[in-house]
Order: sequence, then structure tokens, then C-alpha cells
Amino acid sequence: MYKALVCCRAGMGSSMLLKIKADQVISENNFPIVTEHGNLDSLAGFTGDLIITMDDLSDELKNKVPYALGIRNILDKKEMKAKMEEFLAARES
Amino acid sequence: MLKNLTNEKLVQLNIEAEDWEDAVRKASQPLIDEGKVKQSYLEDIVVGVKELGPYIVLTEHVALPHARPEAGALESAIGIVTLRTPVCFGNASNDPVKYLFPLSAVDNEKHLEALAELAGLLEDEQFFRMLDKAKSAKEVMDYINR
Repeated sequence: MYKALVCCRAGMGSSMLLKIKADQVISENNFPIVTEHGNLDSLAGFTGDLIITMDDLSDELKNKVPYALGIRNILDKKEMKAKMEEFLAARES
Repeated sequence: MLKNLTNEKLVQLNIEAEDWEDAVRKASQPLIDEGKVKQSYLEDIVVGVKELGPYIVLTEHVALPHARPEAGALESAIGIVTLRTPVCFGNASNDPVKYLFPLSAVDNEKHLEALAELAGLLEDEQFFRMLDKAKSAKEVMDYINR
């Protein structure tokens, strides 16, 4: 299982919605990913495998975390699925 | 439940906004007037977008203006706002924004259910068609309460 932190700046609004949608995509596809959510401060103590966040924040995080997955459209399950598959492929190679 | 977090006073239809900041300020004003957030909360939303980009634009034509709870959230609430003329936030994938749902959340666990419901509404095309046609805040609340 890979551990993902779903985060946004506030840790309250968009990250919660993003977690709801990410969990739907994960369960529909049986991806080996578990999510927790938090704000940018949670990053400091995070020891998991990837960060899922909104696209404009992911650029900023890229060098600070093992893997940053940036979502453009929170409701676009195809986008989310493709990006998770990309992460899994990168991990397994 | 979503219906417990919003009310007619937080609904504004077809308002005019000059730009994204004006839209966020006007959309969020009722949350201040109704004691849901402090003025500082609104300022933190605006600063956040200026510093970090339009992270509150979550899907096509939809923004969810919100800030950190400690910036001045007093009571959980969600506003429902449509713009007469959509404005750009600088989010290439999802501009222009026509619908704003300003959000105040004081307890992340308690409001997960309401947010899950909001996530459902954001996928509900009928909801947006209703918003486009609605003439009054009551019509919007009737839809939410149905």
C-alpha cells in the first residue's frame, strides 16, 4: 500500500473534496493507495509516498516531496485515474 | 447536511463582479454579515490566491473560496453565488468562473458529510441548470432541501 497525503493550503475545503474524489477513484480501480488529508503544514512530518493536491500547488511541492500529483479538475475522474496510474507505473519500474 | 450549512441569506444570484477579487469579496460578504467568518478570513482567501495562485478554482467554472480555519472561521457555512458575467481567475483549465461556493469550516470531521454532499452537487448538472434559471434564493434552497 502506498500512503498519500491529500492536501491544500487550508486543509479544510478543497483537500476534503479532493480526498472524497480520490477515494472514489482509488476504490473503483482497486489502486493500492490509502489517503489521509491535511494542510501544507502536515507536509513537514509526512513520511508517505505521494502528495495529491491541486495543480497550482503541486509545482511548488515537486522538489520537497517524493511524488506530487497535481489535479486540474477535481471532478475529472479520468484525469485523476491517469495520474494515479502514472504514479504507480513510476513506482513499479 | 448541506442544508444546515447554508440559507437564503448566503445565496446570491447573477451578481456583477469586476474581476476575481471583486467576485470573491462579494460572494463572501454575507458570510461576514451573518457572523460565519471574520473579515480576516476573507482577507486570507484573497492573500492566498495572490500568493499561491487560483487554488480555489476546483473544476470547470467553479470556485470554492476558503481559507485556513484559524484565519477567522467562526461557524461552518457554505454560500451559493452565481455571476452575471463570468470572471477569469488565471486557472487555465477551469476559467472563466461563474459559480462560487464560499466556504467556512471550523471542524473538518463534522463537515465531511456536508462536503461530500457538495461534491455530489458539483457533479449534478441539474443543479447548475437550476442555478442558471433560478430567480430567487428560495428556489435554490428548495432544491437543496428537496
